[in-house]
Amino acid sequence: MATVTYDRASRIYPGSERPAVDALDLQVEDGEFLVLVGPSGCGKSTSLRMLAGLEDIDRGSIRIGDRDVTNLKSKDRDIAMVFQSYALYPHMTVADNMGFALKIAGKSREEISTRVREAAKILDLEEFLDRKPKALSGGQRQRVAMGRAIVRDPQVFLMDEPLSNLDAKLRVQTRTQIAALQRRLGTTTVYVTHDQVEAMTMGDRVAVLRAGVLEQCDTPLRLYQEPDNVFVAGFIGSPGMNIAEFTVEDGQAVLGRARIPLTTATLSALSTEGADRIIVGYRPESLDLVSETEPGAFPVLVGVVEELGSDAFLHGTLPELAEGESTESGQIVARVDPARPPAKGEQVYLRIQPGKEHLFSAATGQRLPA
Amino acid sequence: MSVTLERPGTEPGAGPAGPSPALRRAADWARRAPLLPALIFMIVVTQLPFVATLVISFMNWNAYYPDERGFTGLDNYVRVLTDVAMRDAIIVTVELTVVVVLVSLVLGMVIALLLDRKFFGRGAVRTMMITPFLIVPVAAALLWKHALFNPEYGLLNGVLTWIWGLFGSDNPPQPDWITMAPLASIEIALIWQWTPFMMLILLAGLQSRPLDVIEAARIDGASSWQIFRYMTFPHLRRYLELGALLGAIYIVQTFDAVFVITSGGLGTANLPYIIYQTFYTAHDYGLASAAGVITVIGTIIIATLALRTVSTLFQEENVR
Repeated sequence: MATVTYDRASRIYPGSERPAVDALDLQVEDGEFLVLVGPSGCGKSTSLRMLAGLEDIDRGSIRIGDRDVTNLKSKDRDIAMVFQSYALYPHMTVADNMGFALKIAGKSREEISTRVREAAKILDLEEFLDRKPKALSGGQRQRVAMGRAIVRDPQVFLMDEPLSNLDAKLRVQTRTQIAALQRRLGTTTVYVTHDQVEAMTMGDRVAVLRAGVLEQCDTPLRLYQEPDNVFVAGFIGSPGMNIAEFTVEDGQAVLGRARIPLTTATLSALSTEGADRIIVGYRPESLDLVSETEPGAFPVLVGVVEELGSDAFLHGTLPELAEGESTESGQIVARVDPARPPAKGEQVYLRIQPGKEHLFSAATGQRLPA
Repeated sequence: MSVTLERPGTEPGAGPAGPSPALRRAADWARRAPLLPALIFMIVVTQLPFVATLVISFMNWNAYYPDERGFTGLDNYVRVLTDVAMRDAIIVTVELTVVVVLVSLVLGMVIALLLDRKFFGRGAVRTMMITPFLIVPVAAALLWKHALFNPEYGLLNGVLTWIWGLFGSDNPPQPDWITMAPLASIEIALIWQWTPFMMLILLAGLQSRPLDVIEAARIDGASSWQIFRYMTFPHLRRYLELGALLGAIYIVQTFDAVFVITSGGLGTANLPYIIYQTFYTAHDYGLASAAGVITVIGTIIIATLALRTVSTLFQEENVR
């Protein structure tokens, strides 16, 4: 068991000017399940491979516990990794796959056999121990890859999108199994995914990366409720947050007929910036269907209504946009009562629940005080 | 060897009720007929000579005794297997094949492992390493015989003279390499030609190695040697088998090197050379044909194993 510390760690691929991972500062607590999430090419896999010793660390350092592993080889780092492709050894049986690391470490045959059996029992793989990987299903291969990691009892588990090769149903099932297994073993885990639902459901904390830069690292709930900037706000949540650029007039944010009153704190932050525009975000579930007379109500033209049974999502547009306001800003998604969904083409009135809006600077994209 | 390829859907009774059988047969022939000339040509040039050889191998047919021509049953085969010269030729063939295949495999693997690393000028070095395989076998044999092994002006003895000269001696040893080790001389020339072939096959194998498996092994704590021992070598096994079998098929048939370097003297005559001698010098067509048939049977056995290896190789690629 150990902590993991990225200390301004950077990776610059040869022939590239821009770092793939730029001065990453991250502290993973002992026994914590940390998820690295971000769009493809954001450097999340590279960050993990740096910790694994499969990528060089060009600047900064990485520590596991108190050990500086920056220049250590993978084999000396005491880590185990689950690959996206599983990377099972094709010519070895499941038992040999799981016991390989122990065999290399010079453990006795009996010890290897007991530990492999224990791991196989946890993962429900006992009946497959004599099979070769190619005779296994995708889900079983995934479990063998997990088994290969847990047999070693390492200080840190590294997982690189281990669920992305499974079908949707199995993925949801395995997701909870992995999370439960990690809680049970209590091993520090760094988990990479591009799927924000996976990140939110599995992680103790989630680190959001974009273009090699850490945007925010916090608990899933705080990422959702208090995103630090526009990128995190738009990335976390499904369907995504409504984000639009409003003009500031008379202490209110204005877009079409939508008006949102701003607090003095926000207004003073805006005036120090000298900005007359503000980015407003609001989640689909923060919108209420109201009557026209309600204060703060604004009209929305209903385009499509997605009915999912438990929820219904209204996709609509803001009418009467002023000249120069992009139509993209006028797109709105709102969660409505699935029992009484509005009809397509209808004009409805929506209101943002007071205090549920997220305000960001139009210049920097950073969160403004509310 | 004949292979019939049929689309699964065209099997009778497989699909839904199609056109009438007569129509379908006509359509089938419309597809087959244009292929017939090529097929007949192929049978004439490849299969008929073999059938002729087979027939002659059961005949007593010697150009010096034209009156004694006739069928003799298995007589020629018995003579091939009991004749001392023939039996020696079989042993020489086996020894030549085994030594050349094994040594060129080992050398090919070492070179392939080196060329699998990234370094400046890798493409140029790789091309140069392949060139021995591109040289006409006769030319290669002549090169070894005259430019390298020759005791008077060959490169080997030239190097010896130069080395001895460095130490101030003007009496360097000048061995006659081919006389000293006739079979080894042939083997060295052949190894030089076949190492690039093995290297190419093994390099292809090395480059088809899944990178993530190697990374997983590294994280599992394996050293470079252990990765080679437990990951690379098992992966290369099929490629080694393929190289060995394909190489063996060709090296069993070696004629050029034996003919050029020793003319089959000093116990270096292998089966193809003996066949050539029996045919062109002794004019014993029956005996030569029988020896030829035995060589073909041996080669078919090796080729079958080779094909089986190739097909398992493809199966594994598909699984991945």
